[in-house]
Amino acid sequence: MKLVIDSLFGRITAIGVYVVGGVRATFELWMVFVGTIAGIWRMYGRRGASRPTGALVEQLHIIGNRSLLFITVTIGFIGMVMIYQACLQFSRSIGDLSQVGVQFVRLIISDFGPTLTAMMLATRVGAGIAAEIGSMKVTEQVDALRMSGVLPVDYLLVPRFLASIIMTLALSILGAAIMYGAGGLTAYLSFGVNPRIFFDLSFVQPRHVILGLLKALAYGAAIPIVSGFCGLRARGSSEGVGWATTAAVVGSSFAVISLDFFLSVGALWLLKGDL
Amino acid sequence: MIGERTVTLVGTRAVAVSREVGGITILFGQILRALLPPRIDGRELVKNLHKMGNRSVPIVALTAFFAGGLMVVQSAPFVKRLDATSLAGWAAGYAVLREVGPILIALMFSGRVGANNTAELGTMTVTEQLDGLRALAIDPIRYLIVPRVVSMMVMLVCLTVIGDLVALVGAAIVAKAVLNIEFGIMYGSFTENLTPHDFLHGVYKSLAFGWAIAVTSCYFGVTVRGGAVGVGRAVNAAVVAAAVSVMLIDFFLTYLNV
Amino acid sequence: MTAAGGAPRELIVFRDVHKAFDGKPVLRGMNLAVTKGEILFIIGTSGVGKSVTIKHLVGFLRIDSGEIWFDGKRVDQLDERGFYAVRRRVGMVFQNATLFDSMTLAENVALPLRKHKKLRHTSALAEAMGRLEQVYLTGFTDRYPAELSDGMRKRAAIARTLTMEPEVVLFDEPTTGLDPVNARRIDRLILELSRSLGVTAVVVSHDLTSIFSIADRVAFLYQGQVHAVGTPDQLRASADPILQQFIQGQSSGPMETPGF
Repeated sequence: MKLVIDSLFGRITAIGVYVVGGVRATFELWMVFVGTIAGIWRMYGRRGASRPTGALVEQLHIIGNRSLLFITVTIGFIGMVMIYQACLQFSRSIGDLSQVGVQFVRLIISDFGPTLTAMMLATRVGAGIAAEIGSMKVTEQVDALRMSGVLPVDYLLVPRFLASIIMTLALSILGAAIMYGAGGLTAYLSFGVNPRIFFDLSFVQPRHVILGLLKALAYGAAIPIVSGFCGLRARGSSEGVGWATTAAVVGSSFAVISLDFFLSVGALWLLKGDL
Repeated sequence: MIGERTVTLVGTRAVAVSREVGGITILFGQILRALLPPRIDGRELVKNLHKMGNRSVPIVALTAFFAGGLMVVQSAPFVKRLDATSLAGWAAGYAVLREVGPILIALMFSGRVGANNTAELGTMTVTEQLDGLRALAIDPIRYLIVPRVVSMMVMLVCLTVIGDLVALVGAAIVAKAVLNIEFGIMYGSFTENLTPHDFLHGVYKSLAFGWAIAVTSCYFGVTVRGGAVGVGRAVNAAVVAAAVSVMLIDFFLTYLNV
Repeated sequence: MTAAGGAPRELIVFRDVHKAFDGKPVLRGMNLAVTKGEILFIIGTSGVGKSVTIKHLVGFLRIDSGEIWFDGKRVDQLDERGFYAVRRRVGMVFQNATLFDSMTLAENVALPLRKHKKLRHTSALAEAMGRLEQVYLTGFTDRYPAELSDGMRKRAAIARTLTMEPEVVLFDEPTTGLDPVNARRIDRLILELSRSLGVTAVVVSHDLTSIFSIADRVAFLYQGQVHAVGTPDQLRASADPILQQFIQGQSSGPMETPGF
């Protein structure tokens, strides 16, 4: 009996440690976010700010241009797959494929386009940011920055944060377009759906576009914050950098999914089910 | 007109990608060769199964719950318009079992287990531990890589089965909370409309995803060059390659409709 | 040296070995023979190709041209699988020990026992304890490598290599980075190995104290070739100015060092 109580106690302690760690990490994450926003003000907003453009352009290139091929390939394929599955589903139930395009364009714009693009970006960009900042942390370059009077958050996170928001928005729009195009092609080639019926935008409402862009904005902000946070927490040497990169991929992917969930549920609730 | 610079850029990219693809193929061949005869180190296998499973169950369960809920939320307007609440479970379940579940779980698994595997093998490579094994006349492929590949495939299938269940539960809970659809109706909708094939289609896919994630993550781990910076870069490359191969495999398996 | 062509009588022979990295030559026609049972030191400045030389023998690097013989058989043309037979007879202790981070010392030592002697895990662990005792690590068998000092890690690595019961052990800078006390302990271990087990030891080092206390013969590598070879006393007595500069550690002299 004592043994059972002891082990139960051990379990509770372990869970407690887990919870405390989680709460602390959330708090630190929030502080990184606040620090980055303040950093934007310091770097670009206030009077006499230096407003550097070089670092921002470089990050725009790394996060945006270098992801183009990756996003095009993965989103293109998943677009084809999704329409294929949807056509199978529709033909099995309703038997009428004329609704596929109309229903899908709404889903792509308000959800799949931005979310899947962001999932892919979380993998590529999140890992990249954490690997880079983590390597700088373990080789003490972050401390060197601090010694030379530069706030690491300003120098490392602000350009990545801004670039990520801009590029996630742009790539989400591109991703949605690619999914739509690839989907229409698949529906036509595999199920003989007339493209003129498939590419029917008349049911798209401004609220779908707004929701999609809002999601892209949230993802674009979350990915660099989560990954930068993981990178700055790296300790040790190669092992630490590996850990930070892993945590960044999982953390930012999960941030995308949970943001999607809460924003979708929130929108559904706000619009009283008429999404 | 496309400039000469762009052509050169595309060319070097293509060469780099084909080199990685070639390397992954060679590693795959070596793994197959090491499996004949199939002597797997039992301790390594059990250790990896335990570690990989333990590490990923919470994140996979949470992801699956959200995925199930999301599918209900997304199908809500359609269901409302048709006024067919009995279709809600079917629409969500179909998407979750065949597509969204296996893909999202595979992506999370790649981030959690695949990336971690690359980091671990990468650290072992840069600290010469792999050469240490070879010096002891122990084949690193047979001793280290094969158990990892097998455990990743087994674990991803298990996690997908668990995740599917959690996702359906999540779908039912969100349907009750958001659309006020009773659990009984959702349950009926699942059992009447979903076939075992829908479920198996997803499970087969996850087996292939597990293989792809395992081989790419091991490849980028054992080819790390250059210390801590190299390990970070390798993890990055591994998750990107895993995501691309998951999407490609998904495409082909969907068309084959296994 | 034996005449070129036939199989040599010595245990290990390097014959006219060339090796370049990215077009930069490191070994330029190196010749070296190791007799059974001796302790041979390979010395020379950093980057001269000492570690490169011994890594060729176990197949971690491949030579560009030349021959390497081990026990009357050519080994430089073997493939990776073929080298596993050589590696069972030729052990190697790396510069940074290369113990497996995820295993305790005992598990590290038990691994080759399990793999090659087909022991069960528990009996392999029991034997590993004994092996660690021989290198004076009795109280540390359940520790992980990261918790130990460099000297302890190196001794554990030596114990792990000895489980293979090798005929030859290659040591890559065994005393580099150790304090003098720990360095002498490693020296004593190498000497015990050689005298009591008859193991042939090839040691890459630039630790002059070790060289003059335990080496049977010393080969001095310079500009990709064996510049001089002989007993420690012969080398000390040699009139060769380059060798004298190295032994006495003078910063200026006839020796050409790149980048200086």
